[in-house]
Amino acid sequence: MPGFTQEIHGVVITFFSTASAVGKTIISTNMAAELARQGKKVCLVDFDLQFGDVSNYLQILPQCTSFDLQQAMALQGSNVRAEEYLTPYEYHNVVFYVLAAPTKLEESYNIDADKAAGMIRQLQNVFDYVLVDTTSMFSKLNLELLDLSTIVSFLGIVDFIPTIKNMKIGTDTLKKLNYDKNKIRLILNRSNAKTRISIADVENLLGEPFYHILPNDFQAASRSIQDGVPLVLRSGGSELGDALRDLVARYTNRAYDDVTMDEDEGVSESWLSRIFG
Amino acid sequence: MEYRVLLAESDRLMLERLGQVVNDTPNFTLAAKFQNVSDALGQGTVFNPNLILLDIEQPGGMGLIDEFKKVYPTAAILCMGEKWQAENASHSVKAGAKGYIIKPFTGVELQETVDTFSRLGSEAGSETLVFFSPKGKSGKTTLIANLAMALARKTREPVGIIDADLQFGDMAVFFNLAPQTTIVEAVRDTKFLSPASLSSYYMPVAPNVSVLCGTKTPNMIDKVSIHRLENLIAMSRSLFRYILIDVPAGFNPTSIAAAEASTTTFVMSMINGGYEIDHMKRALDIFRDWEDMETRVKTIFTRVEPCDSRSKLELSQKLGYPVTEIIPNEYTIVSDAADKGKMATDIRPDSPLSRQVDRLADNIIGRQHRIRWAAS
Repeated sequence: MPGFTQEIHGVVITFFSTASAVGKTIISTNMAAELARQGKKVCLVDFDLQFGDVSNYLQILPQCTSFDLQQAMALQGSNVRAEEYLTPYEYHNVVFYVLAAPTKLEESYNIDADKAAGMIRQLQNVFDYVLVDTTSMFSKLNLELLDLSTIVSFLGIVDFIPTIKNMKIGTDTLKKLNYDKNKIRLILNRSNAKTRISIADVENLLGEPFYHILPNDFQAASRSIQDGVPLVLRSGGSELGDALRDLVARYTNRAYDDVTMDEDEGVSESWLSRIFG
Repeated sequence: MEYRVLLAESDRLMLERLGQVVNDTPNFTLAAKFQNVSDALGQGTVFNPNLILLDIEQPGGMGLIDEFKKVYPTAAILCMGEKWQAENASHSVKAGAKGYIIKPFTGVELQETVDTFSRLGSEAGSETLVFFSPKGKSGKTTLIANLAMALARKTREPVGIIDADLQFGDMAVFFNLAPQTTIVEAVRDTKFLSPASLSSYYMPVAPNVSVLCGTKTPNMIDKVSIHRLENLIAMSRSLFRYILIDVPAGFNPTSIAAAEASTTTFVMSMINGGYEIDHMKRALDIFRDWEDMETRVKTIFTRVEPCDSRSKLELSQKLGYPVTEIIPNEYTIVSDAADKGKMATDIRPDSPLSRQVDRLADNIIGRQHRIRWAAS
């Protein structure tokens, strides 16, 4: 049939964790920026609805939020054009779009999980990549997001045992949900931060290796938050920015040359059995 | 202490049964038993009872408490009901009873109930402290664990911790506990429990400090309904002078219900160079609906460096709301203690962290003394 173009549904990458403050927002904003820099059409959705930081980290002032989109969906149904409720982020020639979290907490509280999932489906029709930032829990919304995602970036850090315990609960629960193995990607952030727990131990406990490891570059991260500019868009580069670019390259299959990860030599310590013995 | 018990119970069979239990319990003797309330009021004084077990689910109900207080001014009154109802229990205590017990009870339950109220006075003095944070990683679990220890040490009164962070509660790890019973079993059973039997669901971790641990897997969250959580908190009031509740981050049915049930809600965030002040402001705005917000909502910042009065003042100004306490950055000490499962016992009492937690404990204790004084 002439003129017919097959509808394309873009890639959905959800950034999820079961421990808080692991860097979901800094990683998702940077991945959005890097994909956009490569010429992709990118939308970043802030579904940390109550206290999301995407707009803060990018220093944008959204005129519309997911609450406005939800209301429009209620009125117009599937005729709604989700892209009209986005806020652009621009730096030099790079542009991507943000579906911002509601400004008022009562609005956040009243976002319906099914409607929110519907927003992602709408955006998939328009964008190559839809990136979703979330809260650290198994909520109805997050479960729906995990279902509809192409890739789930499950983020963790290795700092102290409560965090590890919660990562273990997270990976175990994800396994129970029976997703394809290569859909869930374990990403370790701030790997060289000060801790006495070895990465190898954590990998043993979780039952799989980390897909990607990001270095601890606290200064670069906080500078980027202060400036409101993602690290990957900065000239000069930084260790973390480079590692984030590598991650995007792996997600987009631009590079296959797996770097061998440095793994601490770890002996299994008693804390393993303490949690799960 | 020897208890001379007057039993007032309208059901004949129950009266006989409970009379037997009382007589079989060490330190308890049955002074008299009456099926008819008027008989109990008119004739019981002859037997000089010092403990009255009063069936509250009979005509006259709560009003009977007042009648018995007039006739037996020095005796303690324990109300009896068929099942636990937070409202009944709370009303009977307000009306002057010492506590509430579910019938039929065993000798052990009777003993424990009496022990509880003689230790505590009554639930009227109990304070429920809820620790709310806009986002995760606020340092609240660390604070709760250490604050509970400080409160127990300073007051020698019972302190209970409820880990209601239902998906990822860390209290069990912090105290190195492998709990047999958690909040899931406790709320499941509250229907059948009385305060005395609820206490066995709490795990003792130090003198006068007990913990009700969180769920083991995230899907258990469905097993803890809000109504039952409220009931659990209400029942725990008659067990502890202070109840400290850890709730999930953000506004959700659990954190809202706990905050509503609180005497004081501490809203807290960790300073990390991000937007935590903005998040705190937005969270505080929600609490402005409370008429008594200024006395009931307190704020705490953790990882504050330098941890001095100037930082505290600056934070208060930025927040536009008084900051009650600031806690210093002691990441190494805290993570080390948590890793060893000795969260609250391993931290040196002379560390800056302990000092600030002590100050907060003094603040809480002092405030309560004022409340008690004002109420008397």
